[in-house]
Amino acid sequence: MRTKKLVSIIVLVLILLFAYFSYTTALKNFTLSDKNASYLGGIKFHRAASGLEEGFQIAQQENKPVMMYFWAIWCQYCAGFQTNTLGNPQVKKILEEEYVLVAMDLDIDREVAQQYAVSYPPYLVFMDPNGNILQRVPGSVDANYLLPIVTKIRDDVRR
Amino acid sequence: MIPLGDTLLYASLAVSVIALVGLISREIKNIELLNKLVTPAIIAGAGLLTFSYILLTYYFVYSDFAYDYVWQYSSADLPLIYKISGTWAGQQGTYLLWVWVVYLSAAWLALTTKHETALARRTQIITLLTGMYLIIITLVQSPFKLIIERPEVVDMIAKGTLPPDFVPEVGNGLNALLVNFWMTVHPPLMFIGYATMTIPFAAAIVYLFTKEDGWEELGRQWARFTWLFLGMGIAVGGVWAYLVLGWGGFWAWDPVETASFIPWLTLTAFMHAASLHRKNKATFSIAAPILAVVSFILVLYAAIVVRSGIFNSVHAFGDSSTGTLLLVFIGVTTLVSIVLGMRRYFEEPDKVEEDRGFWNKTNIFYVTLLLFVVLSFISFWGISFPAFIQLTQGLKVGVASDTKNFFNIWSYPFTIILLLALGFCLNYNEKEKEEQKKTLFIVIGLSIITMFLRTENFYVLDHASPFWAREPALYKMIGNISVISIFPSMIYATWSTIERLRTYIRIESIKPKIKGVGIAIVHFGVVFILFGAIISSNFTYTIESANIPLASKGQLVDIGDGYGIKIIDFSTHSLTETKNTPSGALSISEIYASPEKYVSDNVKISGKVTNVANVQSPPPVTYTTYLKINDGTYTDGLWAATQANAPLEFQQGLELTVEGFLIPNFKSNSTGSPCTAVTPCDLIVFSSPEQITEGTTASGSYNVQSVRLEVYQGSKKIGSGVAEYLQSQTGSGTFPLVDSSITGTDIYVIFQGLGGGIVPLTLKIIPAVNFAWIGIVLFAIGIILIMAVRTKSKV
Repeated sequence: MRTKKLVSIIVLVLILLFAYFSYTTALKNFTLSDKNASYLGGIKFHRAASGLEEGFQIAQQENKPVMMYFWAIWCQYCAGFQTNTLGNPQVKKILEEEYVLVAMDLDIDREVAQQYAVSYPPYLVFMDPNGNILQRVPGSVDANYLLPIVTKIRDDVRR
Repeated sequence: MIPLGDTLLYASLAVSVIALVGLISREIKNIELLNKLVTPAIIAGAGLLTFSYILLTYYFVYSDFAYDYVWQYSSADLPLIYKISGTWAGQQGTYLLWVWVVYLSAAWLALTTKHETALARRTQIITLLTGMYLIIITLVQSPFKLIIERPEVVDMIAKGTLPPDFVPEVGNGLNALLVNFWMTVHPPLMFIGYATMTIPFAAAIVYLFTKEDGWEELGRQWARFTWLFLGMGIAVGGVWAYLVLGWGGFWAWDPVETASFIPWLTLTAFMHAASLHRKNKATFSIAAPILAVVSFILVLYAAIVVRSGIFNSVHAFGDSSTGTLLLVFIGVTTLVSIVLGMRRYFEEPDKVEEDRGFWNKTNIFYVTLLLFVVLSFISFWGISFPAFIQLTQGLKVGVASDTKNFFNIWSYPFTIILLLALGFCLNYNEKEKEEQKKTLFIVIGLSIITMFLRTENFYVLDHASPFWAREPALYKMIGNISVISIFPSMIYATWSTIERLRTYIRIESIKPKIKGVGIAIVHFGVVFILFGAIISSNFTYTIESANIPLASKGQLVDIGDGYGIKIIDFSTHSLTETKNTPSGALSISEIYASPEKYVSDNVKISGKVTNVANVQSPPPVTYTTYLKINDGTYTDGLWAATQANAPLEFQQGLELTVEGFLIPNFKSNSTGSPCTAVTPCDLIVFSSPEQITEGTTASGSYNVQSVRLEVYQGSKKIGSGVAEYLQSQTGSGTFPLVDSSITGTDIYVIFQGLGGGIVPLTLKIIPAVNFAWIGIVLFAIGIILIMAVRTKSKV
C-alpha cells in the first residue's frame, strides 16, 4: 500500500511539472499570433477578415494582385510551407514587394474560408485588385512550383 | 408547428420522465405505483428514437431540402450510400445517433435485468438522465429544423424575395472529403462507441455512491464493445487520413483524432484495472470505477472537440453552440465523481496488509494504469492548453515548433516503459519471479544503452527537419534519443506474448483458452501497431513537387534520385450521375489533357467568366474580346476570344457556353491582349459572338480528375495505379494512389489537381505501414474472442 501511494505521488508531481513546463515553454517560444498582424514564414500579412477590405483598397490604389493565404495553427504542412515555399528568398521578395498579402486563419476567419470554398490548409487564393479569383493553389507546393505562378500573376495584373 | 421529428424527440423525453419518476419513487419511498410502466416506457422511448432516426434517413434518401440539415449535407445527385451517410455527416445527426444508441442500451438494460436489483435500477436512472440530457442537446440543434428557420432565409422571406414556404431545389452537397467509403463507417463507429460507454459509466457512479456489488460485471461487455468500436473508429479515421486526405501517414496528432484517442487510452486502463478488480474486490476498488467515469467524461470532452467548434482541426465539419451544454454536463459529472471518489477514499480503511514489496502483479498493474493515465494526460494537455491560452488570452500558441514533436517526445519514454510492463506482466509467474526480474533488468539496461546509439537519422525527432533547430533544449534532448531503443522492449513484449499464447493454447478447458488467446492477440496488436507507426514515420522517403507536364504523357519522366513517373492517362469524370457540362461541352481539363485531339477542331466549353479584356485592333477597326472561362476542372481556366465591331460587355462571373476553334500557341501584337509574344496563350478558343451563349447547367457536382500513372525506380516498375483529385463547390480532396506490396512498403502518390498544364505530384515510399493495419485487425479479433467468452466474477 505504501509503495503504491509513493508511486502515485511521484507521478502526480511529475505530471504537474510537465504541465507547467510545456505551458510556459509554449508561451515563451511558440506564440504564433499577435493582435494586428501575423508573421508567417517571416512575412508580414494583413490579418483576418477586417484586413481583407483594407487589402483590396491598397491593391486597387497600387494595382497589385492579392494573395490570400489560408492556414491553421494545427496544420503541420503549413509550417514547412511557410519556411520553404513562402520563405524562399525569390518568392518572398516578389510577394513582399509586389503583392498585397492577407492571411486567413481557418479557425477564426471561417466565413471567408467558406466564401472562397477553402476547406483545408495550406491554401493560396490569388486575386486581382477587384477580387476576381485568378488562381487557386491548394496544398503544400514547393517554391519551384509557386515561383512561376506568382511571377505570371504579377505580370498579368500589371498589364 | 413542430416538425414530426422534433415531436418524436419530445415524446421520448416525456416517456423517459415517466420511467424516471417510476424508478426514483421506488428508490425513495418504495412506491410501486409506476413500476409496471418503467420498462414499457423505456422501450417506447427507444422505439420513438428509432423511428425518428429512420425518419431522418428517409428525408435524406428522398432529398427533402425543406429540412436545413438535409439541405446542408446532401444533394439530390449523390449516390444512395452517401445520402444515407449524410445523416451522420454533421453534428445534429450524430447527436441523434448517439442518443438513439444510449436508449437502445437502456432498453437492453431494462429487458435483461428487469430492474430486479437496486444496482440495475440505479444504473438505469443514471443512464436515463444521460439520455435525456442528450435529447435536450439534440433538440437545441435539431436535425429536423426547417430551412425557413434559417436567419438569412427568414430575412429574405420578410423582404419578399423568397416565398414563405421556400424549399431549395438543390442541396448544398456533402463535403467532398466525406464522399468515400471510410467516411460512411467512421462516424457511426465513433458515436456508437461514445454511446455504449454510458452503461459502464452509470454502473461505476452507482458503485461509487452506494457500493453496489456487480457493477463491473454489468458494464463489462459494454466497456469491451466501446473499446472495440471506439478503437475501430479511430483506426478507420486513420485509414481515411492515409487514403483520402493524403497525409502520407495515418496519425498526425490532429486535435480531433487525439481527442478520441484519450478516452480510448483511459478505457484501456479501466479494462486492465477491472481484470484484477473482478478477481479481488479490494483491488483497485477506487481506481477501476474512477477510470470508467473518467473515460465517459473524456468521451464528452472528445465530442466537444469534434463538434463544438471550440477546438479546430482538419476535422472542422461541424459548428455549433452545444459545446456549452456539453461543458456543463462535463462540469457536473466531474464534480460528482470527485466528491464520490474522495468520500470513498477516506471512508475505506487503509488495509493493514502485509507489504509484499514492489514486485507483485497488483503493483505492476498499478504502474501500467499510471502509464496509461500519464499517456492520456500528455495527449489531453497537448490539445487542451493551446485552446485554453487562446480562450483566456486571445493568443495562439503551438505546443512545439512542430505539433507532432510535442506528442512524440513526451509519449516516447512512457511507451517504452509500457512495453516493459507488458513484457513483465503478461508472462508473470509468482514462482519464477526472481528469474523474470533479472530478464526485465537486462531489457531495461539494453533499452537505456541503445538510447545513446548514433545513427544517420533514426531519432525520436527528425534532425533533418527545419523544425529541429527551433525546439527548446529539453525537447532536443529527448529528441536525440535513438529510436533503436524501442526494439529491446518491443522484442521483450513480443517474446512474452508468444510465451503466454503457448501457455494458453495448451490449456484444456475451452473458455479460459479462448480468452487467454484473445488477450495474447490484442497484445500482439500493440506491438504490430507500434512497429508500423515507428518504422513508417521514420523511414518514409519523399519526393515533393514532382511536377510533370501533361504533354509528356506516355514518357518516363525522371523526378530525381533514380525515381521516375510515367503518366499513362488523364481523365475527368463526375462522381455523381449528372454531368456538370451541357451536352457536347468538354471539360477544360480534358482539353488540356490531350490538346492534340482537339487542336484546329471545333470545341465547346462552358463555365464562369473570370476575366475580360477588350482590345482594340488596328484597322479595319474591330474589337477583340478575350474571355477567361473557368469550369472548375482546370485551375487556370481557358481563354476564349471573339471579334466584333464594338467592344462586347461581359460581366465577370457570368456563366457562358462558348463554341469555336481551338488554336494552340496564340500570340497577338495588340496592346492589352492577354496573349503576347512574351506570354503566348498555349491554347485559346476562337469563336464568333453568336456562338457565345449564356448559361450552363447547375454546378455542384463532384468533378474528379484522375491520373493513371506508373512509378519506376531506374527502369523497374515499382508501382502503378490512379491518383485522383476531387473538386466540388464544398471543397476539394485528394485521393492518393496507394500501391501496397507484400513486403509492407507502400508506393504513395498524391495528386493536387492539374494546374497550368502541369500534373503536380508528391511521391512517398512508406515502409511497414501494413504492420499497423495488421495490428488493428488483431485488436479487433482479440477483443471479439474475449467478448465471446462469458466468465463469472469470483465473489
